[in-house]
This record gives sequence, structure tokens and C-alpha cells, in this order.
Amino acid sequence: MTDHQRRLRPSFSRQRALLTAHSWAVYLFLYAPIAILVVYSFNEGRQTAIWTGFTFDWYAHLLENELILRAVKNSLVVATTTTVVTTLAGTMVALALARFRFLGRAATQAALYLPVIVPEVVIGAALLTFFGVARLRLGLGTVVVAHVAFCISYVAIVVRARLAGLDRSLEEAAADLGAGAWDAFRRVTLPLILPGVVAGALLVFTVSIDDYVVTSFVAGVGSTTLPLQIYSMLKVGVTPEVNAVSTLLLLATVVLIAVAQRLQGRQGGLSGVEET
Amino acid sequence: MNRVAVHRILYLCTLLAAFAAMLLSCGKEGGSAPAGEAAKAKSGGELNIYIWSAYLPQEVIDEFTRRTGVEVHYDVYDSNEALLEKLQSGVADYDLVVPSDYLTRILIGEKLIQPLDKSKLSHLGNLDPRFLDKPYDRGNAYTLPYLWGTTGIGYDKTKVGTVDSWAALFDPRHKGRILMLDDVREVFGVALRSMGRSINERDPAVLGRAAEMLKKQKALVATYNSGDFANILAAGDVDLAQGYNGQLAEAVQEHPERLAYVVPKEGGTIWIDNVAIPAKARHAANALAFIDYVMEPEVNARIVNGVHYASANLPARKLIKPEILGDRAIFPDDATIARCELIEDLGDTTTLLDRYWTEIKSQ
Repeated sequence: MTDHQRRLRPSFSRQRALLTAHSWAVYLFLYAPIAILVVYSFNEGRQTAIWTGFTFDWYAHLLENELILRAVKNSLVVATTTTVVTTLAGTMVALALARFRFLGRAATQAALYLPVIVPEVVIGAALLTFFGVARLRLGLGTVVVAHVAFCISYVAIVVRARLAGLDRSLEEAAADLGAGAWDAFRRVTLPLILPGVVAGALLVFTVSIDDYVVTSFVAGVGSTTLPLQIYSMLKVGVTPEVNAVSTLLLLATVVLIAVAQRLQGRQGGLSGVEET
Repeated sequence: MNRVAVHRILYLCTLLAAFAAMLLSCGKEGGSAPAGEAAKAKSGGELNIYIWSAYLPQEVIDEFTRRTGVEVHYDVYDSNEALLEKLQSGVADYDLVVPSDYLTRILIGEKLIQPLDKSKLSHLGNLDPRFLDKPYDRGNAYTLPYLWGTTGIGYDKTKVGTVDSWAALFDPRHKGRILMLDDVREVFGVALRSMGRSINERDPAVLGRAAEMLKKQKALVATYNSGDFANILAAGDVDLAQGYNGQLAEAVQEHPERLAYVVPKEGGTIWIDNVAIPAKARHAANALAFIDYVMEPEVNARIVNGVHYASANLPARKLIKPEILGDRAIFPDDATIARCELIEDLGDTTTLLDRYWTEIKSQ
């Protein structure tokens, strides 16, 4: 790190200016559309492209639109359930892969990457066919099963990476000091991999809540999620109501990430333990 | 210190898990019917509707529940193809669907919808005969018309004056200010109608000439777009937009001083969305009752007043708001309807059209 800085020093200020400008350009590129979306959620007109005046009406409309509210509820139910199930299962898979040698370990490890690599359309079509063969009625249940199926890998991969960087001697030391397997896991291993687990959980929550492709295949009675709802509104044109609901979701996501970062910040002390 | 932080995190995780479990349990209650309920539900406590977005006002559903005690679940789709895929899966639990004209033919062919028991429908006589007995369902054995509309031109009168012909979309003066639908049949329809031919023309020589026309037109076209055309027109990015009447009518109502909608004098396309009952529907009797219910003039008028699309119900017209009934973009006059054609399945000719379409789009 310091080596690099020393080498860069002669043209450092110019580089810094360029880098700053570049960063701003990237931020603008990433966030300008979102800013416009938020601004237009306060637009008086029905069209989403012309500014006609400021209003909170679309937020009021939103609270009366049962279809959108139901879709939001469905999305939250699916994303929360998926996150809890995949975080537990994914972490266990990662631990098993990192700690034990067993028959089919290599195959399991390879299969872990499949749901991430295979195009979503293929996963969706495959799951729909599967549910058809299994005679499972499409609904909220099949959506959750589908999301768990393709999200479990995300958690497993992230936690596995965290475990790879973990010093096993810490667990051995705990065992030496008289900790049982469960105590060692709860007091040493889990705190150390927790940032990975939280990161995996957040990743899954975001992937699940905005998934359109797979969900569109496996959704059934009473399981229209928010992305499906918004997409189906295209036929009659997107109204600022959609902007309003997106803004609220954005707000919720920002809060969630802030909470996660605070938690990760607390972890700072622990990763210090890891380094020493 | 560290231990406290870890405990806090664990505590938060437990809270989250409990919250999720709570959400899940209430989701289960209100969600889809588990298999065990099948026998009980047969007598009729439920109705699962799968319909286009913004096509059925909530008050109309609530009124049906009030009258019959039937609990209505309502999901929406965005394309005919999505509906087809769901019905083909064989595990979608819907009792009432609303396919467009061309999909209706496919659903009948694949035996995915069931014949209607018309002896149970007391309001059949309310339907406008002009929307009955169409090629996709002769004698309306399987379906009945629900809502319908047209394809025409939305335009900015302050920029291009009055438009009454598809020729405006081929006028070099409007170069770069024209939007066409991203839909092979609709775009070929424009060329064929301009040549005085049918939208469902199958003669390869005529289709070749139409393709030539459209290839030349491409230099004038700003974009091909089927989703957002009304917004693009309203924003002033184009002056002429081919499009469906529903969205364009809304844009015109928003900017009446600037925008207008017309079905050109050569005639455009007309589309009809129909109510139908899937072959595997578990609550077919409820679906049939609902079909009869939406044909009641008062109910039908409330639907039209709520969704701003035209229905095929004659007595309902007296109860439709005058500003909607009088809007020529929503309810075109009889002469205009007579000039419009339904898009029909062209069989093998579709391949030829798709090839031309790829050539046009990629040149």
C-alpha cells in the first residue's frame, strides 16, 4: 500500500483530480436514473416524463392501491423467508465443505456454482416443469421454493470464501482451552464468519426481492410479487405510483444496508482478533 | 465488549427469524389454497382470476364478494405469452382468464379452456353482436368479449397539424419524429392498409412490397417501441406515434390542447380481450357466475368507467360517463369500427413475415 503511494507521489495531485472526476462520473452514471425516479414520484402529472408540479398524491394513491400493497407484502414474505432459509442452509453447506471430506464433496462444490452461472430463464423453465411433474400448485410456496433453490449458492459461496481465510488454529485453541464443539462454533467460528453470513443474507434478500424472471415462471394464485406487478403495469403505462413504491423500497434498502454496515463496523474489533 | 456485540447480532438474527416466521404464517393463511382444501372448496368459496393489469376495478370484485360470499383472488399478467405459459404448466390454479383474440384460438386448439355453459348466463343478450362470432371462436362456444380497443396514431397537432392517414408515417417531413410499435403484425398492418390490402394478407408478393415500403420508412423512424410510446409522445420526443388506444387516450386526456388520437381512414387493427374458463378450473361455477355478473349493465359500466377501455355491452353505454363514451379514442364511431380488422393467425406465412421483420430491424 505505502509502496504504491510512494511511487505515485510525483503526479499524485493530478492523478487524484482525475480519479475524483472519474468517481463522480461513475456515481452520476449509477445514481442519476435513481434520482430522477425519486424526483418524478412527486410529479403531479400522470405521465412519467414531463414535470407538471409537486405532489404527494401518488404516495396517497399507493396506500389505497390494494394490488400494489399485496404485491409488496408478497415480496417481503418471499424475500424474508428465502433469506432466513438460505442463510441457515447455505452457511451449513459452506461449513461442511470447508471442514469435512466426504463422498461427493467435489461434485457438491461444483454444483454450488451452477445456479449462479445458469441463465435465469433456464432455471425458471426447469422449475416450472418440475412443479408440473410434481403436481405442486403454483403459489407463494412454489415462489419461495424457487428462490431458495437459486439463492442458497450465494450464501454458501460468500461464507465459504470467509471460511477459507479463517485460521483453524483459533478453533483448535478454543478446543485446547476446553470448549466443546458447539461452544467453539458459537464463541469463535460464528463471530468470525458472521460478516460473511450477513453479507450473504443481504445479497440473497436483494436478489430475491427484485427477481423477475424465475418468479414470473413459478408464480401462481395470490403470489404476484412487486416486480411482476410493476412489469404487468407496463401495458397501461407506468404511473408515478410505481416511482413512489420504488422510492419507498429504496429507502427500506438504504436503511437495511445502514444497519448491516453498523453491525459490520462492530465486527471491526473481532477481525482485529483474527489478524493478530 | 466483543461478546456483547456478538450477542446483540445473534439477538437481532433471532428477531429477524421470528419476524419472517410470522410473515410466513400470515402469508399462508391468505395465500394459495393448500391441496388439502380441494374437496371443501368445490362447493364454491373461491374464485381465482388471472387478468391483464388495470383491467378490473377493486370495487367490482368487492361487490361480487358481497353478493355471493365468494372470495376472489386476483393476479395480473403482462403478455398473452405469460398467460399461455401458465396454463400450459398444468399446475396454475386459475378459474377465469382474459386472453386476447389470437391467443384465444391457440387456447381452444390446445384444449386449455373449456366450453361455456351459456344456459347459465342470463345477460348474454347485452353483448354487441359486432364483437361476437369472430374467426378465433366461431359461435362463442368458449369465450365472450370483455374489453376491446384499436391501434392508431397518436400525434402532436401543434407540430404536424391534423392527421387522418397512415401516409403521415411515411412522410419525409417527419423524419426522426416517428415512433412505430415494436410488433411485426402491427407494423406490417400499417404498410398493408396503406396499400389497400388486408392486415391478414398472405400473398408473398404483396408482403414483399410491404416489406420494401417499411425498409424505406425505417430511415424516418426514431424508434420501435411497444411499452412506453404514449410517454415518449407526451414528452415531445416524437410527433407521431403508432400505438394502442388505451395509453394514447390517457395521454390525450392529459394534454388535450396538444395531442390527438386517430384511427386512420384506411383502417387500423382492432383487438378484443375475452373472458374464458381454463379447462382445469376448480371453481368453474364461480367463474361462470362472475362472467354473468360482469355482463350486468351497471357492473359493466363501472368497469369501463374505472379502466377507460371500451366494452362490448350495449345497455351499459347509458351508464358510462359521457366523457368516456364521447371520447373517440376509446369508443370510435361505427364507421371506424367497420374499417378495422382483427389480427388473425397466418400459419406458415408468419415465418416469412418474421424474416422480413428481422431484415427491417437489422438493416
